[in-house]
Amino acid sequence: MADVKANLPENGSAGQPLPPHIPDITAQLRLVAWLRWRSLRNGLRSKNRRMDLVGMFVSGLFSSVLVIGVTIALFVATKYIFEEHKEKYLGLIFLALLVWWQLFPFLLAGFAPQFTFKSLLRYPLNFSTFYLIGLAYGLADAAAIAALIWMAAMISGTLASKPGAVPAMALVCALFTALNVTIERLLGAWLEKLLSKRRSREALFAIFILSMVSLQFLNPLLQKHSGQVKAVILAVLPYLWLLPSSFAGEFVARAGLGEWSGALLQLAGLLFYVLIFSALLWRRYGKLYSGEELSEGIAPNARANRVEQEEVDDTDSLGFLPPQVGAVFRKELRYLKRNSFLFFSLLIPPVMVFFFSMQFSGPFRRGISPDMFFPGMMAYLVLILIAPSYNSFAHESRGIQTYFMSPVRFREVLLGKNLMTLLIVLGELALCVFLVGFRVGFPRAPVLLATLMAMIFSVVGQLTIANWSSISFPKKMEFGRMQGQRNSGMSVFLMFGVQLLLGGISALILFSGRWTDTPWLPVQLFTVLAAASIGGYFASLDPLSQLAEAKKEVLIETLCR
Amino acid sequence: MAEIAIATEKLTRKFGELTAVDGVNLEVESGQFFGFLGPNGAGKSTTIKMLTGLLVPTSGRVTLLGLDFAKHAVEVKRQIGVVPEGMGLFERLTAPEYLEFVGRMYGLDKPTTRKRSQELLEFMQLADRSKTLIADFSHGMQKKLALAAAVIHGPRILFLDEPFEGVDALAAGALKELLGRMTDRGVTIFLTSHVLEIVERLCSHVAIIKRGRLVAQGSMEQLRAGVPSSEGQRLTLEDIFLSVVGEGAERPQVEELTWLM
Repeated sequence: MADVKANLPENGSAGQPLPPHIPDITAQLRLVAWLRWRSLRNGLRSKNRRMDLVGMFVSGLFSSVLVIGVTIALFVATKYIFEEHKEKYLGLIFLALLVWWQLFPFLLAGFAPQFTFKSLLRYPLNFSTFYLIGLAYGLADAAAIAALIWMAAMISGTLASKPGAVPAMALVCALFTALNVTIERLLGAWLEKLLSKRRSREALFAIFILSMVSLQFLNPLLQKHSGQVKAVILAVLPYLWLLPSSFAGEFVARAGLGEWSGALLQLAGLLFYVLIFSALLWRRYGKLYSGEELSEGIAPNARANRVEQEEVDDTDSLGFLPPQVGAVFRKELRYLKRNSFLFFSLLIPPVMVFFFSMQFSGPFRRGISPDMFFPGMMAYLVLILIAPSYNSFAHESRGIQTYFMSPVRFREVLLGKNLMTLLIVLGELALCVFLVGFRVGFPRAPVLLATLMAMIFSVVGQLTIANWSSISFPKKMEFGRMQGQRNSGMSVFLMFGVQLLLGGISALILFSGRWTDTPWLPVQLFTVLAAASIGGYFASLDPLSQLAEAKKEVLIETLCR
Repeated sequence: MAEIAIATEKLTRKFGELTAVDGVNLEVESGQFFGFLGPNGAGKSTTIKMLTGLLVPTSGRVTLLGLDFAKHAVEVKRQIGVVPEGMGLFERLTAPEYLEFVGRMYGLDKPTTRKRSQELLEFMQLADRSKTLIADFSHGMQKKLALAAAVIHGPRILFLDEPFEGVDALAAGALKELLGRMTDRGVTIFLTSHVLEIVERLCSHVAIIKRGRLVAQGSMEQLRAGVPSSEGQRLTLEDIFLSVVGEGAERPQVEELTWLM
């Protein structure tokens, strides 16, 4: 094979020698870490980003309660295991860690690098550095940080009860970390590839929906065939030793007992897993490194054919609306149709309502009356369907400028967007009311009416606050993507706060009818509140238009970035 | 005396400590093809954003067609068209859908919007890509669409930020002809470009901004008269620009980059 380097010019454009070598892996890793740090630090110059960080910090405080609780539990459990010589249970703890590490990132949809690797590839980056950066991102994942803290607790528990086993525990924890980060990155990369194609993305989403539907049968089946299920579980248990978590637990247990030959065998088993998954990840990242393109823009012609052909029709079906409101509404509808995630996610509420209705009705009914079930389901609907409104400009990107260049007041833009949300809520509501009525039965008239009034109060009230949130805390989101997409910390914080407050008020009012034995009282109260929230909504539109004018620079800068 | 289409009075914009635009007084008459020039970071885009309502001035006043922008924003916007920096397109719409959206936002009825969209798409040679999402357009195609959107409502003033960047020579020629005809019909065009040859060929009047301050304004002949030249030499816009902007400014010294030559 010809020596490639020998054919390369040694001098740069000016006859000057080229840099003698590219930075080594450590230097490149340091550079990327520096880049990330500077991006974060410079990002905090903007007030919105600082607020975002505060919101994330507050949300993080809630999560930290869980992390601290499990940390204490794992310290105690590990100490107990060694003191009581129950080392065989260590494998189960590692199994729980494995499940957490691989499942939690998917629940958070944060499994893929949020800072695209492709942008780094224009530089002379070693493949090994590229690979290591990928792993480093895995370590910075929320699930990984929690797991690392928990493993530190396990090492501390070991130190407190059996100090001699600490080196073995530390070694296993290091290998287990490498394994989990590798698997998580690998699954993320595979999923990223799968989701990059519209067809496979839609298929995957359909499978997800089907799984949700089929889940409802699980509980009844488990109850009906509990004996057989137990037998299956008992038959599977012996094979758990094949899992990496069992190898990890067994190695620590045997090393603690001084059974070194058996311990090394277990360690080899764990190492085998690390090597296999590393090889697979190496292969996947190798393809990315060599220029594999996963974005949707790769085949415009193929996709162009998927855009619907519109018939020429000059009658305006939205003629009853002001043209600007109609234009925004129509644009929202088109965006909804083209955002497959958002579009398919509309299927989730009715599916979930159906699922819940299966749980609380029919042969397995657990005695929840329609009077309780119906308001509960409607509250769930509001919770799910209004959430995107708190960052309603997320997908506008550079288009946000059009709103500010056009001769419209921002109230028309908000009206168009809110109208779309209301239409979705109404459609889903109609479907779910039918489902609930069919499966569980309708509540009594006062509860039915009070719930519907409560929904008007909550939806319209939330839309007012969501409009404010969208203008004040915008966050750009990539169209049709799931991973790494989240609202700004402040808007998430605001949404939870408002939903808790309005949900609390609504629950109190609903129960007031029972407590005072005046079933129509909630209807009257909610009617007043609904009227007030409608009034408040329309009164808010002009001040919100002024706010949008005042905040337009932030909006444009954030969304056009 | 001709109507003043664009006027600014002590227009100023600060970003923290930095004064990007500093007390700019501009006057552009109706029907003028006006070029707005300046080196990078001089304040061109900031000025054009303030003139089109995308940025609030820190102080000063913008008057378009005799209307105070701050007081009559909607009425002013109805009469202007803009191709902003970044183009402001909704990328998940197709070109006809986007033009329909913009037309309706400007209050055009549906048949008029559809007719004009079709004509504009044909003129911009985009009619055969009517089913392609804007996100899948090339940069030049997006620029042509942004131009089409800026004129769909028949504006009286057109603001163009680097309108020919990325547009192929064929389309650029047709566009220049279109813009020329628009000014003949009384439309005022306010254009920024780094390509001085384009500005020289198209614009009747030019203003030059440097470090946020207006340093020259007038017709091409007035600008030539203001710059010293040897007898018989006809100054190009590049000569004028370098003379005005280069004064007191440190020009990059190529000699410093010997390692690159």
